[in-house]
Amino acid sequence: MNPEDYTIVLPPADVLPSAGTLSPYRQRPRRPGIRVGDAKRDMPVYLFLAALAVLTVVSLGLLDLDLAKLIERLPKLGKVFLDMSRFSTERFSLTLLTLLETIAVAVLALIYGMLAGLVLGALAARNITPWKPLSFILKSLFAFIRAVPTPVWVLLVLASMGFGMAAGIMGLLFHVVGFFGRVFAQIFEEVPSQTIEAVRTGGASRVQVFFGAVLPSSLSGIIAWTALRFETNYVEAAILGMVGAGGVGYTILAAMNSYKLGRAGLAVLIVFVFALAVELLTTYVKRKVKI
Amino acid sequence: MLPAGAWWSCGRICLNPVLEVRNLKKVYRGGEGPAVDNVSFSMARGEMIGVIGPSGAGKSTLLRCINRLVTPTAGHIFIEGEEMTGAPAVRVRGLRRRVGMVFQHHNLVARLTVMQNVMHGRLGYMSTLDGILGRYQEADKKQAVEILTQTGLGSFLYHRAGELSGGQRQRVGIVRALMQQPSILLCDEPIASLDPASAQVVMDLIRDVCHRSAIACIVNLHQVDAALRYSDRIIGMYRGGIVFDGPAAELKESVIEKIYNKPIKQLMIGDGIKGGIRDEIREGMHSGIREEPHDGIRDGIKEGLRDGQNG
Repeated sequence: MNPEDYTIVLPPADVLPSAGTLSPYRQRPRRPGIRVGDAKRDMPVYLFLAALAVLTVVSLGLLDLDLAKLIERLPKLGKVFLDMSRFSTERFSLTLLTLLETIAVAVLALIYGMLAGLVLGALAARNITPWKPLSFILKSLFAFIRAVPTPVWVLLVLASMGFGMAAGIMGLLFHVVGFFGRVFAQIFEEVPSQTIEAVRTGGASRVQVFFGAVLPSSLSGIIAWTALRFETNYVEAAILGMVGAGGVGYTILAAMNSYKLGRAGLAVLIVFVFALAVELLTTYVKRKVKI
Repeated sequence: MLPAGAWWSCGRICLNPVLEVRNLKKVYRGGEGPAVDNVSFSMARGEMIGVIGPSGAGKSTLLRCINRLVTPTAGHIFIEGEEMTGAPAVRVRGLRRRVGMVFQHHNLVARLTVMQNVMHGRLGYMSTLDGILGRYQEADKKQAVEILTQTGLGSFLYHRAGELSGGQRQRVGIVRALMQQPSILLCDEPIASLDPASAQVVMDLIRDVCHRSAIACIVNLHQVDAALRYSDRIIGMYRGGIVFDGPAAELKESVIEKIYNKPIKQLMIGDGIKGGIRDEIREGMHSGIREEPHDGIRDGIKEGLRDGQNG
């Protein structure tokens, strides 16, 4: 900075009250008086809202919703729900067993994905990557993986590995790695460059800097995102059963197909109760334990 | 305090220097002109140099070139006779261990304990695996506890760095740098964000370390009075170049004006330096005119308004 910059030069007193002369962007102020905001700075927000409005109108037009038919069929939907709420404990032990399977799939995909995500995230974080283009390549890869829906990945794995839980874990793993890679890279990038620099000045190697400074600084973020991802994993694992990867999803599907709506209803309720329990538990732990 | 210009002060020519900087130049991509331009100096063991100069004069860049956080564009840096510039990455790591650095914002890992942060100073001496697993030598840990106790942090060993006050954190930062067993200590604005009491504790500590352990210290400072009080030698920088290099006693008002490119009256520096101004005030009081402390500011605004109207 030039030392001359320190000199305070106030504008002449007669310019201060009139607004027009101070704003370089708008020639004719709509309202008299001094502007407080900066229209040019707010522009992205306005553009975003405008784009959202246009997209809403266009997609409503494209969908071609038949509202009349929708309203006509509503009572039938109510009857299905009513049937489902008449819970039946028929083959209840199977429901529980498959729920456990689903939880196991969610947990295993979470652990494997987290380990892979930590390594790939470190390679993809711009501030610690050993090679800058690698960061871009990996981030693009993560985006691609997440752009393809999980059921598609599962179907691809099913085609090569056959039915079963292993396929479920593998299929789910794609998204988990894509998710953790991106999220962890972002958390690592938020570690202040000065913290990294300080450890580096001591002669620490790249790997030592990662384990000594980057990882401890990111720990609370990593735990929070992992907890969140577990909930997502669980819900996705439940859905995956419906495409043939086992678990409680398959039980629900089978019950629905044979019109055992009461059995399906109870299974759905249990899935929901467990999801709620997990969420309450993580919230409680996050509040109690200061990481 | 040791007298300025003591025997170890060696100026531009020096036998067996711990650090030698020769024709150093750094040009940042997209920067206006070189950040550091043709800087040469050398320093002896246990010497304390205060570097002063306005923001953007190249003080930080100079320090960062010395431990290769910034790669110099041209010139040479020798640390204990070994060339740092152009050294391959493996050797840079080895050389960095000998150069400790203290930062304005201490740059500790807030989540880790004081001990964990301090032990980071040993990472450069350890295998990667030992570093990851935190398998520090017992002797090193003992030394860390000892230095921390000496610096008054003995009861904070297992506090998280984030829980400490600014002055305490800065002391932890200094101990971390000392754990490297450096021969040179670089301090980049170590007291810029500290209150006056903590600032004095930190500066005292740096000077003690410098003189007792014979570690050469380079301290970037915005506080000219602190630089004068603590340094054996002052380097004044302006726009990337050295405009003054000599004992603190020789830093005259005219030199300070040259370094900051401003008349001394427009510089907020210790009154001890601005002897002339103090005399003026005393004279004013003798003649019965009471100096209002805010008059200077008011005059400045009036002047600014006048300038604005004319322009």
